[in-house]
Amino acid sequence: MRNPFVMDCGEFHVNYKQDLAIWKITRVRMRVFILLAVFAVFPMFASDYIIGLATLCGIAAIGAIGLNILTGFTGQISIGVGAFLGVGGYTSAILTAKLGLSFWIAMPTAGIVTAIVGGLFGLPSLRLKGLYLAIATLAAQVIILFVISRWDALTGGTAGMVLSRPELGSFVFYSERSYYYLMFVVLVITAIFTLNLFRSRVGRAFIAVRDRDVAAEVMGIDLFKYKVLAFIVSSFFVGIAGALLGHYTMVVSPELYSITVSIEYLAIILVGGLGSVFGSIYGAVFITLLPVVLRSGVELMSGVFPDLSAVLIGMKEVVFGLVIILFLIYEPQGLAKIWKNIKDYFKLWPFSY
Amino acid sequence: MGILEIKDATLKFGGVTALDHVSYGVQEGEIFSLIGPNGAGKTSMLNCISGLYKPSSGSIYFKGEDITRYKPHKRASRGIARAFQNIELFPQLSVLDNLMLGRHVRMKTGLLAGGIYWGKTQREEIEHRKKVEQVIDFLEIEDIRNTPVGTLSYGLQKRVETGRALALEPEILLLDEPMAGMNSEEKEDMARYIIDIHEEMNTTIILIEHDMGVVMDLSDHIAVLDFGKLIGYGTPEEIQNNSKVIEAYLGEENAV
Ligand SMILES: Nc1ncnc2c1ncn2[C@@H]1O[C@H](COP(=O)(O)OP(=O)(O)OP(=O)(O)O)[C@@H](O)[C@H]1O
Ligand SMILES: [Mg+2]
Repeated sequence: MRNPFVMDCGEFHVNYKQDLAIWKITRVRMRVFILLAVFAVFPMFASDYIIGLATLCGIAAIGAIGLNILTGFTGQISIGVGAFLGVGGYTSAILTAKLGLSFWIAMPTAGIVTAIVGGLFGLPSLRLKGLYLAIATLAAQVIILFVISRWDALTGGTAGMVLSRPELGSFVFYSERSYYYLMFVVLVITAIFTLNLFRSRVGRAFIAVRDRDVAAEVMGIDLFKYKVLAFIVSSFFVGIAGALLGHYTMVVSPELYSITVSIEYLAIILVGGLGSVFGSIYGAVFITLLPVVLRSGVELMSGVFPDLSAVLIGMKEVVFGLVIILFLIYEPQGLAKIWKNIKDYFKLWPFSY
Repeated sequence: MGILEIKDATLKFGGVTALDHVSYGVQEGEIFSLIGPNGAGKTSMLNCISGLYKPSSGSIYFKGEDITRYKPHKRASRGIARAFQNIELFPQLSVLDNLMLGRHVRMKTGLLAGGIYWGKTQREEIEHRKKVEQVIDFLEIEDIRNTPVGTLSYGLQKRVETGRALALEPEILLLDEPMAGMNSEEKEDMARYIIDIHEEMNTTIILIEHDMGVVMDLSDHIAVLDFGKLIGYGTPEEIQNNSKVIEAYLGEENAV
């Protein structure tokens, strides 16, 4: 029997299946299951307000995993995420509100439509790299928003559209709790799919394209195909996030998908960790909660200094920018890396080397 | 007809003619060396074979198929693999992942199957992992299989890069100065690996190397480039007695 008080000095895998597992170490696997259990159970005890925030964090995490597939794993910066969220939201809105389709058909369709749109706007990646490609995605952002706000007949123009909550038989996902679970299931599927992707052939090819495109090409990876494929998969998840968000807030309108949203998502993956699935989740929680925490901080202090809130209310953007810059300077690999450093520290504790 | 035929290949960069109407053939199963002074066009020649450069004129046949217009990835899928003069590994990835990338064209798992990772995908992953382990055994790099390649010594990186090309199970293996910058012990090991690859796997090898001792020992045929022109072709003895070749090399030494 294993002595529960002794940590293993290492784990030895005796077959390839074990060595290829996502979580190779039993301890890590246990922790992931505990974490999953905590997030599955916590809404039983939390207030609607907290559950609502958690739902927003989770939806942002789904979109951020999508963006990370493109930017963190494949090395293609996109400034068009905001608009792609919009494509997802509007597709689901049109399918459910105008065509009367069920949410369960509309949400995956929104993913597929966004994937196609993303793939089309990814075509310039044949010729463009880095900053130039980023500018091309900026064009996508502008064009898509233009279409959404002008095509009144289909999208309701600047007024936007109203959506309803999903139904399953006679059950409507109306409570905060039920919608949280809906998001939770989609997030878990997204995370597992992405983790699997990056331990198999296509995901490895994405990473190869990011790290050394010449070598990737010579090893038999069709650069163009995989670059566009990254746009397609990435946009699929962003579209799903857009649909989930639309049905949660029950409204879609052009100003919800501005370039600010695109930058917020870039901030999420930067702060969380480029090329990390868990980093996308940490970053989404961090960036979603940051303004909330700031606001309550300001409210608390305004009791003492009544004039303070007027000054600090405009500080949100400043703090936001500051956080991003600090991460870029001190920990470019993001929260995922910080978390890993802490773990490594305790693995060797009490020896510091 | 050889496994690889270069027909009248010319490659120009602005005013520089890197390859000037070069023609030769490589026989199946041989070790073929490309030699020549610095800047002679050896790397450019490999780039034309692996598809990174397109010759301005002339054509390249691989197993009778005209591949002149094929993109690099398509040539890799035909069985052409390559290790670079300036190491082109994926520095953040482990040795294992680098070698698994070498298996890319031999694997099939697509996007959806990869994300779901059930049955067939897992079996494929294991099956190819076994092939990669064979390469790891062969090159004696077992102890570094999980190390990110960026942290390895230069000599080991060169070896891993050869391994990645080998993992593709190539019909023809292009090695651009695999021993450059190595100490004599590492060089000896590498020479032995090249001989073993050739004998055990029957792979055709095109080798670029400056160490004449190695070249004369290993090669079945040698082609000599100078200022983009093919100035000699033959067996090691023929090359050693070729007056043009001697002149080119002496000329270089005099210039230095
Ligand atoms: N991408 C390029 N752009 C412009 N000129 C190039 C390019 N690649 C090669 N050349 C030129 O072509 C000529 C041949 O270069 P190449 O690299 O093929 O020589 P080499 O025989 O491999 O030399 P070395 O032994 O130094 O590796 C050189 O004059 C080089 O400057
Ligand atoms: Mg060279």
